[in-house]
Order: sequence, then C-alpha cells, then structure tokens
Amino acid sequence: MVLFSHNAIENDFITFLYIEYNSTLIGHLGDDMEIIDTFIPVAIFLLFGLAIPLVIMFLVKQLSPRSKSPVKFTTYESGSVPTGSSKIMFNVEYYAYAILFVLFDVELLFLYPWVTVYVNDVVLNNVENFTTSFSVFAMALFMVVVLLGLLYEWKKGVLQWVK
Amino acid sequence: MSIVDFISQFAPEVILTIAALAVMIIGLGLGTKEKRALGYLAAISLIVATLIIVFRGTYHLQLEGIMADSLTIDPMSQFFKLTFLLVSLIVVIASLKQYDNHSNQDEYYTLILLGTIGMMVVASAIDIVTMFIGFELASLSTYALAGFNKKDPSSMEAAIKYFIVGALSSTLLLFGLSYLYGLSGGLTNIGEIADYFSMNPGIIQSPMGIMAMVLIVAGFGFKMALVPFHMWAPDTYQGSPTVISALLAAGSKKMAFVAAFRVLLIAMIAIKVDIAMVFIILAILTMTLGNVVALSQKSLKRMLAYSSVAQAGYISMVFVVMSPEAMTGAVLYVMSHAFMKTGAFIAVAALGYMLLRENISAKDVDHLDNFAGLGKRSPFLAFSIMIFLFALAGIPPTAGFVSKFILFYSVLKGGFVFLVIIAILNSALSLYYYARVVKYMYVLPPSSSEKLALPGAYSLAILLALIGVLAIGIVPEPFVNWAASAANVLGL
Repeated sequence: MVLFSHNAIENDFITFLYIEYNSTLIGHLGDDMEIIDTFIPVAIFLLFGLAIPLVIMFLVKQLSPRSKSPVKFTTYESGSVPTGSSKIMFNVEYYAYAILFVLFDVELLFLYPWVTVYVNDVVLNNVENFTTSFSVFAMALFMVVVLLGLLYEWKKGVLQWVK
Repeated sequence: MSIVDFISQFAPEVILTIAALAVMIIGLGLGTKEKRALGYLAAISLIVATLIIVFRGTYHLQLEGIMADSLTIDPMSQFFKLTFLLVSLIVVIASLKQYDNHSNQDEYYTLILLGTIGMMVVASAIDIVTMFIGFELASLSTYALAGFNKKDPSSMEAAIKYFIVGALSSTLLLFGLSYLYGLSGGLTNIGEIADYFSMNPGIIQSPMGIMAMVLIVAGFGFKMALVPFHMWAPDTYQGSPTVISALLAAGSKKMAFVAAFRVLLIAMIAIKVDIAMVFIILAILTMTLGNVVALSQKSLKRMLAYSSVAQAGYISMVFVVMSPEAMTGAVLYVMSHAFMKTGAFIAVAALGYMLLRENISAKDVDHLDNFAGLGKRSPFLAFSIMIFLFALAGIPPTAGFVSKFILFYSVLKGGFVFLVIIAILNSALSLYYYARVVKYMYVLPPSSSEKLALPGAYSLAILLALIGVLAIGIVPEPFVNWAASAANVLGL
C-alpha cells in the first residue's frame, strides 16, 4: 500500500515535470524572440565549426616547414616513380551497384513499418481474411514495382560487370 | 467510401502508371522498329486519361480514407490535370515522328508518362510532403528528358543546368516547407497549416516565419523561372530537344504555379502586404527582363524561352492581387499559355526536323533566318506559328487575348494601376519580336523554293494545339467557368 502510493507520488512528480517542461516550450513558441533564443547553441556550434578550420589552416601555414622541390609536384603513386598519363579512361560500373543498393534499401525501409501495420491488422483488429487486406495489397503492389525495376536492370545488362 | 472508390477517383493516374510500367517492360524485348508501337500505347493511355478527366468534368469531392489528407479532387486539380495531360499528349504525338528510329524511345515515353503523373500528383496534392514527392517525380523525369539527345553537347548542358538548379530549388523549397512544418507544430496539410497560422498570426510574422516564406518564394521562383531566378530557363529550353522544351515550358513550369497557388495561400493570412510587395517587384522584373532580352534573340527557341519568362511575370501578378477574379485569369492563363507555348515549340521542332531531314549536317535549325519565306515553303506550319505567336502577344481571337484580358482587368480592379500599365507596355513590346518572326515568314523571300513536307504526326500535334488556342479564344465561356470554379476552391 505504501509502495503503491509512493509510486503514485513519483509518477505525479514526473508528470508535473513533464508539464512544466512542455509549458516552458509552449511559452517559448508563443514569444517571437525566444524562438531565436533556443537556437543560440546551434549558432555557437556554427561559429566554432566555421572558426576551427580557419584557425587550424592558419596554424599549419605558420608552423609547418615548407620545401619546394620538383619531386613534390609529381603524382603520388605510393612512393614508386609514376608512369604514364594520369588522364585515362576507366569503367564507371559502381553507380549501377549503388542504384541497386538504393532499390533494395528502400524496399527494406518500407517493409519494416509495413510489418508493424500488418501485425496490427492481424493480431489487434482480428482481420479474418488478412491475406486480402489492404496492407497486403499495398505491399504486393510495391514489391511488383520494385521487381519490375530489377527486371529492367537485369535486361539492360547492368548486372554484368563488363559489358 | 471504399478503397476501390478511392482509387477510381484517381483512375487517370493509375492508367498512366500502368502504361508507363508497361511501356518500360515491353520495350525490353523489342527491337527499335517495333518500339514505335510503344509511342502509340503511351498516346492512347494519355487520351483515355484525358477523356476520363473531361467527362467527369468539374466537381468537388470530399475524399475519405488513408490518403484523404494528402490528395484532393477539386476543379483546380482537374483543370491543371487536363492541362498537363493535353500538353503531354501533344508532345507524345509530336515525338512519334521525331524519335521513331531512336533505340531508347521506350525509356523516352516512360519518362514522359512518369513526369505527367508527377505533375498530376502535384495538382491534386494538399499536403506539403505529397506535393514535394510529386515535384520530384516530375523533376527527375524531366532532368533525364532534357538530356535525351545524349550526343548533343548543348542538350547535355541543358540537362546539367536544369538538374543543378532544379536540385537547388527543391532544397530551398523543402527547407522552407520544413520550417512551416516545425512552426505549425508538425502539420503537413496545407489547409491545417493555414488554419493554425490564422489562429496564431504571430508565428508566421516572426523571423522564422518570414524566413520560411522567403525560402518558399525563392524555391517556387526558381521553378516558375521568375527573374532573378530565371538563369537556367533560356539555356535549358534552348538546349533540350525541342519537343521536350515544350513539355518543360508548358508542363513542369505550370506545375510550380499550381503548387504556389495552394501553398502561398498560407502566407496570405498574416503577411499579405509583404508578399504582395515581393511579387510586385518580381512580376515587374520578370516581365520586363523577359521581353527586353527576347527582343535581341536570333534563336527562336531562346526567344520563346525568354517569352516564357515574361509570361510567368504576367501570371505572377496574381500573387499581388489574390482576388478570385485574378485567380480565374491566372488559372486560365496557365492553360492558354500551355497550348500556345507547346504549339510554338512543336512547330519549331517540326521545322528543325524537316531541315535536318534535308541536310543532316544543318546547324542552328531554330535560327530566325531559317524561317524566311516559310509561308511559301510550308503554308500550314507558317500559319500555325503565326497564330501561336499572336496568341502569345495577346491578339484576339486567341486564348492569349481572353486570359490576358481577364488577368489584367482583375489586377486593375484590385487597384494596382501601375502594374497593369507596365504589363500592357510589356505586351506591346513583345509584339515586336513576335511580329518579326511573322515578317520573316511572310514578307522575306525563301532561301529555296522547295516545298517542305510536314510529317503527319507533327501536323496532328500542331493542329491539337491550334484547336486549343482558338477554342479558348472563340468560345471562352466553358473554360472561364471552369477556371472560376477552380479559383473558388482556394476560398480567397
């Protein structure tokens, strides 16, 4: 009994704190100037973020020793003597993999919240024929569109490394 | 309202989505010659969607269900959807000839259809997130379309400029919208945000609120190509494939207008005077610079691009007045301008196509000199270009006259006399460069007496635009009524 009332008092206190906190927030929003006040930490961060690189660049320029030999202006190839031109063509194949990654990443992103809705449908609302419910229909439609995208990439030969 | 009823309200979008995916997938298994059929498939889907919109006509429906807070069906959305569908239809019909030997024409039609769906989503959106997604769907499709002539450096330049500026403007817009979301305490529905700010006008008048509106105006300014946010428009419209310039100028630019009509209403509650002042300056700058720079253009595509900038200046006068009459004029102007601009760009594309067919290495096919004596070489093309240009200048009995009349008259009634005077002086100025093209076509002698044969697809596309321009000009009543009911939706 004692324990229970103690808990109740504690809960009330937390609720009270929460209301206090909220009302200060609302008070902030009601007053024009104080909205700006809440951004002072952001402004401090911004100023420091802008200043620190400048300070460091200045310090480096002052403190570091400099040497101007022709070797310094050659291309760096892990210590060995550079050979050939730096202007060569190479395959940009990675972008296709990046797109594929995004495709399935987004799919996963959508599937996760969908599962919670689906469980809600089945468990809480007792939807009898849940296989025909709207959530299943919507996700099936989404999967079909994603699969069409995959089919398109496959047929275009994107999945082959060298065409 | 069951889910099936709900989806049936968006039947045009559903049809276009299915058609876009079908064109993409069927195109995988076809050769270049067979892919021509896909263009017809795209055109048929657009025709069906247009017919659905036309036969359902103007009605306001209270939607229910999961998307009811995000999408709406009202005369405004239907009017703009009709505009977008007709523009896309005309562009697709013109493309049937332009790209009939292109190996990627399936992607081309898919992108046009997806872009159209994006524009239609924006037209229906009453939620800032849904609106932004529609914007991006349409933008991403049109970025790729602007660079569709991959071998042509100017097309690539157009695409890259369009992409960079488009991304920047989307960022500005999204940033501004996120401020609205934060200031309103997490609302995304435009109507609810407006209600919230009308109860708490102090919030939108605060520095944060002003900042949000500035960002939103700048974001829309880029998308509507208002001066000083217009730099991308001439290069993009000139460099893109000409039929795509028509889609950009008439479709994706108008999408920004319908979004701005809905979103800027939020600002009208508490900071109406400030927004009016901003748009007085923007409108005057836009129409004057657009018209003055267009005077000296020798490339017809570039001239049309600057004229498009100037027309955006006329339309943006509505944000100054914000009366139901002005909104009627602006909404009607958007549709009229869509027809005139599409027609003019497609006519230029048709001439370019015919000149390139004669001489594969021809350069600058849209140069003014190529229009010399066009009245003798291709009478129908010259006549339709003349009608489109006169419509752009605002000469009766064309769509340009009716919409300009309503818009200017309502601005006058709103008490902004100096604004109307500047707009009318600008219209007079614009007549010079429009009439110069007509002079080239009908007065100057042709460079060769050979007749130019206009391909059927182009004729049909130009004819459709011509019918649109003359129909609004000669029988304006149904269009004006629809535009008026669209303007009423906003509840000004």
